[in-house]
Amino acid sequence: MRYIASAVFVIAVFFVVTSVTTRYSAELDPFMYDYMIENFEDDTHAKNAVAAILLDYRMYDTMFEALILLTAIIGMKQFLPGAADLRARDESEPVPQTESTQEHGDE
Amino acid sequence: MSDVLTADESIILQMVVGLLYPFMLLFGFYVILNGHYTPGGGFQGGSVLASLFVARYVVYPVDDTDTEALHSIQRVFLALIVIAPSAVLFTGVVARNPQFRSLYLTTMDVLIGVQVGFGLGVAVLRFAFFQGVGKTWHL
Repeated sequence: MRYIASAVFVIAVFFVVTSVTTRYSAELDPFMYDYMIENFEDDTHAKNAVAAILLDYRMYDTMFEALILLTAIIGMKQFLPGAADLRARDESEPVPQTESTQEHGDE
Repeated sequence: MSDVLTADESIILQMVVGLLYPFMLLFGFYVILNGHYTPGGGFQGGSVLASLFVARYVVYPVDDTDTEALHSIQRVFLALIVIAPSAVLFTGVVARNPQFRSLYLTTMDVLIGVQVGFGLGVAVLRFAFFQGVGKTWHL
């Protein structure tokens, strides 16, 4: 029941978010676009506008984007058991042979 | 079907991956170091560097890489990514000395590339060995 409720909730949030972003749209004056296209070479000495924006105009964004990867890996290490832990557990308390260990290399 | 080779027993795959290994490293650093002249940059080149871990895992699925050490290196480089712009970009040192702009861009690309490469490498290896053993594939 909890799984169904959470699935319904996630799908509802998806439709709400997509309907909000498709219903309201605004045309902004592209003054930042024009400024960056005209001046990125003099401002940052980069030949590539993407690198200029990524490493100079929007450096805060890049810093926290790099932090996102670290956060993802910390969460992954938190929730996945490490191979060394699994091996230590197998040696301390031998578990009966299951099907998942027999079909190693089947794919 | 006992004569079917798995990927880690194939001498052809081992030789090809061994030949391609330095070129993958070279291409990764090419993408990183030319990030401010050509399309590419730290994130893209770092992903190419992470493919080194994948290639090694395909032909040698043994969990002998110290992912904790890789993660420590990644954390050190993330700290450098935060420290370097705080020291030279936000304080205006780079803006007052325009001759250091290219050096700054290249340095940041290298830092981000190594950080992303080691980070994705840790992610791939942890997912590959999370059952305790690696999987290999029949060719």
